[in-house]
Amino acid sequence: MTGQYAALVRDDRVHGSLYTDPQIFADEMDRIFRRGWVFLGHESEIVTPGDWVTRSIGLESVILVRDREGVVRVLANRCAHRGNRLCWRERGHDNRFQCIYHGWTFGLDGSLRAVSHKAGFDPNRGDMPLDRAGQVGSHRGFIFANMSGDAGPLADHLGAGGRELIDRLCDLSPTGNIHFGAGWIGHRIESNWKMWPESDSDGYHLDFVHASMLRAVPDNYYDETVIGGESKNVSRAIDHGGGVSELDLRPSYRRELAWLGTTRDKVDSYCAALEAKHGKERADKLLWDGPPHGFIFPNLFLGEGNVARVDPVDVGAVLHVHTALQLEGVDPALNRRLVRQSEAGLGPASFIVPDDAIIAERMQLGFQGLRPPMNGGDNGPGWVDLSRGRARESREADGTRVGHVSDETTNRAFWRHYRDVMESRA
Amino acid sequence: MILPSEALRREIEDFLYLEARLADESRYDEWEALVADDMQYWVPRGRADYDPADRLSYINDNRARLATRIRQLKTGLRHAQTPPSPMRRIVSNIEVLAVDHDAGVYTVGSNFVLYELAVQAGTTLRIWPGRVTHRLRRVESQLRMSQKVVELVTADAPQWNMAFLI
Repeated sequence: MTGQYAALVRDDRVHGSLYTDPQIFADEMDRIFRRGWVFLGHESEIVTPGDWVTRSIGLESVILVRDREGVVRVLANRCAHRGNRLCWRERGHDNRFQCIYHGWTFGLDGSLRAVSHKAGFDPNRGDMPLDRAGQVGSHRGFIFANMSGDAGPLADHLGAGGRELIDRLCDLSPTGNIHFGAGWIGHRIESNWKMWPESDSDGYHLDFVHASMLRAVPDNYYDETVIGGESKNVSRAIDHGGGVSELDLRPSYRRELAWLGTTRDKVDSYCAALEAKHGKERADKLLWDGPPHGFIFPNLFLGEGNVARVDPVDVGAVLHVHTALQLEGVDPALNRRLVRQSEAGLGPASFIVPDDAIIAERMQLGFQGLRPPMNGGDNGPGWVDLSRGRARESREADGTRVGHVSDETTNRAFWRHYRDVMESRA
Repeated sequence: MILPSEALRREIEDFLYLEARLADESRYDEWEALVADDMQYWVPRGRADYDPADRLSYINDNRARLATRIRQLKTGLRHAQTPPSPMRRIVSNIEVLAVDHDAGVYTVGSNFVLYELAVQAGTTLRIWPGRVTHRLRRVESQLRMSQKVVELVTADAPQWNMAFLI
């Protein structure tokens, strides 16, 4: 039905039923997660041919594997014969996948290699490989996949803004490479998945939701970058287009390395290595700017020293799964510092995200039972206002919209692209 | 190992029960008074078979980080524990695993099942089973925790909010 999502997603507000309607969730799993690009993981997780990890694309379990030729493959975690799950652990290393139901074996590229007791099958039955993603792509080691195969080039999905965010993160490494060796932490929240692209990119809530963290941790860089509204900081909220948004904290930092909570003398070998790689001017800028805070549609959060994926579970449940930024070519002590920072910020027992989780769960409860407005009208209960800063945000020549960090520019960035996708793939 | 005396065994059990009750009742100051200066409070992601320095854990607090955790809970603005979850945990299968009488250091294993009513958004009963290894040290005649390692049965699965003292 064309127009359904245009009626629910307006330029300045969205309807609460978008978070609770099971039919909308089913539409999203098809139009966004099956027919669009989805972030899955990082090449550092599957270094050697035969290395694999299991992931989700929407509700579908997939195997992310490096095949014999070194090509990254994304295979349905489902035997092509009767559908039994092939890999039931989180990670492993194998030279083939064998289904334990009837013993069929598949190559690392998903091709069918052997069928047990073959004589009983019609020899003209045809090939039966594993279902696989129609497109797999990567940017600076970040792996994305699209099941349908008709989502267009990855570079277009990321856009210049999304690529630059990932580049800025990776350039913090003296080799240009980051890795995901710190492992993943999963946080289950009883909310719709869309509250996470919203919350992760919201620059308006920190004074309130995170007041306890701000009081308990007096020496934190959020005080200067996101607290106190427009009278206190000059950080920016950016809509890069295509569902890519950013909270740009750089203008508010008052010193280099604030984001790492340290000073140059304590990490001098890192600073020197960065300068050797990039030259002094660029290195100094990187050390000032730190890692970006951005969100790439639909499920990749670049959360400063964290990388998180948003995995929908059902219309009212989601996993927020994160790892810590780890830099290649630095002293282990620096990466350990990043692990400690990540534990403080993200995860079920951290100082920040559990409070966001409660807000998301309370919102989810508040939207229960809402029905979409009749005949696409504006009236009736359950609208969510996202208008803050609309009148004052600027529009750059390249289409980028820029507001104050506390403006809902980033939330509108998500929803504008959501509406485009849901309507264009209807 | 020199076996612990019955009196010592009883003293250790009493400590574990007290620690559990203070955590259940979110009596943060009294709980923190049981903590030694070199405390490590570790809730691993998976089994406790890796170096937490290099890999993420649910919690890996040194004494300073644990103080921050408690300070945050005591602000009254920690939404993830506002109000605090009603909790009760059953502590059982207590074993004194190692005794160093000279240093006054005792390693103790126990199992627990914690029932939490998550009341911050709706009301949901959550069950947290696991195993704790305590390292206790005698400080000025009193037992204190210098390490608490909590291995959740569910440690490889995603976790709900765990903002209370586990």
